[in-house]
Amino acid sequence: MRPTVKSKKAVALTAKVPTARKSKFQADLAPSEDSMVRILKTELQMTSNTDFLTDALALLRWAVSERKRGHHIISESSTGERKILLFPRLERVAPEVTLPHVDIHWTDKELESLAELASGQPADPTDALIRAMRQ
Amino acid sequence: MAVTIRRLEESDEVENFDCGDEPLNNYLKRHAWTNQQKVSIGVTYTAVDESAPRIVLGYFTLATSSVPRNRLPRKYVRGLPPYDLPLILLARLAVDRRFSGRGLGHALISEALKITLRVADEVGCRCIVTDAYSDKAGWYARYGFLPLEGTAATSPQKMFLDVRTIRRASSIDSFLPERA
Repeated sequence: MRPTVKSKKAVALTAKVPTARKSKFQADLAPSEDSMVRILKTELQMTSNTDFLTDALALLRWAVSERKRGHHIISESSTGERKILLFPRLERVAPEVTLPHVDIHWTDKELESLAELASGQPADPTDALIRAMRQ
Repeated sequence: MAVTIRRLEESDEVENFDCGDEPLNNYLKRHAWTNQQKVSIGVTYTAVDESAPRIVLGYFTLATSSVPRNRLPRKYVRGLPPYDLPLILLARLAVDRRFSGRGLGHALISEALKITLRVADEVGCRCIVTDAYSDKAGWYARYGFLPLEGTAATSPQKMFLDVRTIRRASSIDSFLPERA
């Protein structure tokens, strides 16, 4: 085995790097969710909540990154039946929202009113709108 | 009730949906899926309870549209960019009357406006418009929708909400007390 040699300078630099502070994570789970965590930990042969959370985080991070790239997350059975995961929070990070295009019937007066509103300064948001965007 | 809002799926149970308005019931039961998956003229989003995730409690349908620049009055065109005006149509929004009064309408329009903002960010759109029944115009006005002039008395009221207003609402970080 090839010996590794650390110079004094390298050791000194290493020593200066502060240790990353670990965060504590506490969650209130319903009994059914708590039971689900225990079952999953058993199935996955995990003993610690830290390992469980770390793996769950890795999985969620991967799912978010895939949806951000516009990729769908699909399960495929042995017979070829496919199911697409539609998870509302994941859909929020998806880049493409594809909506079909339709024609609307406008009266001339409606178009004038639309153009006036669209070309002017936007109205201030109402309290209900602010709440809706915060929900 | 833990409500989730997601795209309409073929296996969703819509036959018992009843918002009290037959055209809106009929659209969900007969046309929403076809329009979404086959002819692609509208995407329907449904509110479902996580305990019964196939039963549709409410829905809305979105589509994109645009107004050709040459149809807009010249005196206003100067304030607009030299392109057709892209917009989103909130084509329908309905809540099953057995579940009314539980904030489902608010949850649905909240999701519709968030999608509008995402579309505006991704591909561009200037506003969202809707055709509101006259007795519902006040409800849309609470969210800042403004009535367009010129709608025929017998037609639903066309209403307008600027994407810039929605964007401003999403960026406001001040405290707002919850409604009683």
